[in-house]
Amino acid sequence: MSEQSRMSEQKQKDAKDAAVDLREEMLRGAKALSGQQSPQGQHVPQGQQDRQGKGGVTSDLSIDETLLLHAVGWEPVDLVFGVSTVSIPPGWWNWGQGEIEAASEAHQRAVSTASSRLRHECGQVGGRGVVGVRISVVVEPSHIDAELVGTAITPLTGASGRSRGSEPFVSDLSARDFTLLHRAGWEPVGLAYGTSFVYVPRRSAGTALRQSSQNVELTNFTQAMYAARESAMERMQSSAIAMGGTGIVAVQVTEGPMSFARHAVRFGAWGTSVRLAGDSHHYADPQVVLPLDDVVVEFEAQSLRN
Amino acid sequence: MPGSESDSDSVSAESTPLEEADRRLESGSFSSGLTVPDFAACLQMGLRPVGLVQGFCVMQWGWYSAGSQYLRGANPFSPGGGPGVYSASWRCPHGMVSAEHRAWGQNYEQPWVESAWAQGFGSAYERMLEEARFAKAHGVIGIVDRTTSLSDMGVTEFHILGTAVVVEDGPPPADGVPWTTYLAGQRLAKLVESGFMPVAVTAALASVRVWAYCITEYQMRGGTSAWGAGMGAGYGVQEVDQISEAHAAVRSIARAHVRRGLQGDWLHGARMDVSMQRVDEGDEVLECTLRGTRVRRFRQADPLPAPRPTVRLG
Repeated sequence: MSEQSRMSEQKQKDAKDAAVDLREEMLRGAKALSGQQSPQGQHVPQGQQDRQGKGGVTSDLSIDETLLLHAVGWEPVDLVFGVSTVSIPPGWWNWGQGEIEAASEAHQRAVSTASSRLRHECGQVGGRGVVGVRISVVVEPSHIDAELVGTAITPLTGASGRSRGSEPFVSDLSARDFTLLHRAGWEPVGLAYGTSFVYVPRRSAGTALRQSSQNVELTNFTQAMYAARESAMERMQSSAIAMGGTGIVAVQVTEGPMSFARHAVRFGAWGTSVRLAGDSHHYADPQVVLPLDDVVVEFEAQSLRN
Repeated sequence: MPGSESDSDSVSAESTPLEEADRRLESGSFSSGLTVPDFAACLQMGLRPVGLVQGFCVMQWGWYSAGSQYLRGANPFSPGGGPGVYSASWRCPHGMVSAEHRAWGQNYEQPWVESAWAQGFGSAYERMLEEARFAKAHGVIGIVDRTTSLSDMGVTEFHILGTAVVVEDGPPPADGVPWTTYLAGQRLAKLVESGFMPVAVTAALASVRVWAYCITEYQMRGGTSAWGAGMGAGYGVQEVDQISEAHAAVRSIARAHVRRGLQGDWLHGARMDVSMQRVDEGDEVLECTLRGTRVRRFRQADPLPAPRPTVRLG
């Protein structure tokens, strides 16, 4: 037998040894549940001991996300949320110039309050941060509702967690993105956001009439969008700087008019504010892979016809 | 239902639905709600499907008349629905007494709604388990639960189904109660591989009724009002405390309900859904359901090797 084939066989044997026997694991799990076998190595990390005393760990992470976090030294603690409803005074939506200050302020306050409540809940359950935060903001004529829900996580016992700040972080990054960020030597700091509502100036009756039969750009709408964009982006960046971040990743934007206010536009932007956890960035050094999957060749009945 | 013409509420004297299901499960062939990949993964784990098991329950929500015990707590002087039940009151700051002025407001948990929901879900779940027990199943995987409103008369149908499985060479479950999970296929395989075993699906509903007081009404309506203006409400940007508190409370109560049943285990894959029914300006009924799979660690798993980033060519 050649050296090459011996090595190949050895590799296959090693891979087989390393693979978990799923049947065996399932059987072991079923025996543990039925009480025939005591659970093995019931070491429970400190954070979980506290939670278990209160009724167990809750998490909306998938099993993949839980395993990924575990691989980089973190574990879920509890499902946490922050909500806030802020009122908008009457008479702001349809007539005016420039920014609709009350709406922008209400939005900022609703998200900010919900975020700080989420952070507070995270701290209360012993978490060091919240990942995978789902952000839902509903804009109504008279109020703005903000809801943030995510899973609080904490470093495994003995792991540093690498966080420099004392405050728990809030991030809408998935556990996968959090893991990659962590590997690259960065850490999330908080949720950066900014929103602006701007009036769209009304055209004069003459202009509206003249333009009614033309294909023209409505510069009043375009300019309002630009104005809203500038204010929102600036607010988002300011909030990132205020919380000690040096940049924002995974920025998402939402923009456009609202059904109840035809002469107002909204621009919102949010993302996770990040900073270096150490002295320098770690190059992720990705491995290049070439998948060998065959491209599925689809049979086309039409090809039979000339 | 066959043989039930004489009494629509009675069950057939010849065979009950459960007995009919039992005959089907005994037929020798199996049925399953698993997809082909999930079925393949199921066999890989040593799980043998024995049948698609289901449970139904149709519940009617009662009508709460004045003076009903169900409206306890709905006045400004009562402490609420009892010990451990959420309730909070808000008093009008204007000193005004009028039928048109909401002089007080209250948020309160509706435990009767919660227990009715728990009864409906629990009955459907128990009936599904009963079928699984009859099939001598060790567990039920890939559970799907649906809650459907059958009419606008407050009638809700609970339907829970899943695939009953037997662990090849495995022991019968503790107390004969099969374990259950929303997971199936590779997700279940990964859960077991990482040292967790599903125990049971867990779900709870929390319900909070908001009776707005004057300030909340003005804030949510967004209209002008001398009363609101006098108190700063209706003109300034302010948090609507009563509504914010109700939204936080309903989520918190649902989480507490689920947590009570965990007994130190984990709730994996939690899903939180909130619905709001607006009754009037500021008056709302909030409902929050939280569900997931209760899992128990049977083996301490070492962390996986740190993942290696890859870039695909092609």
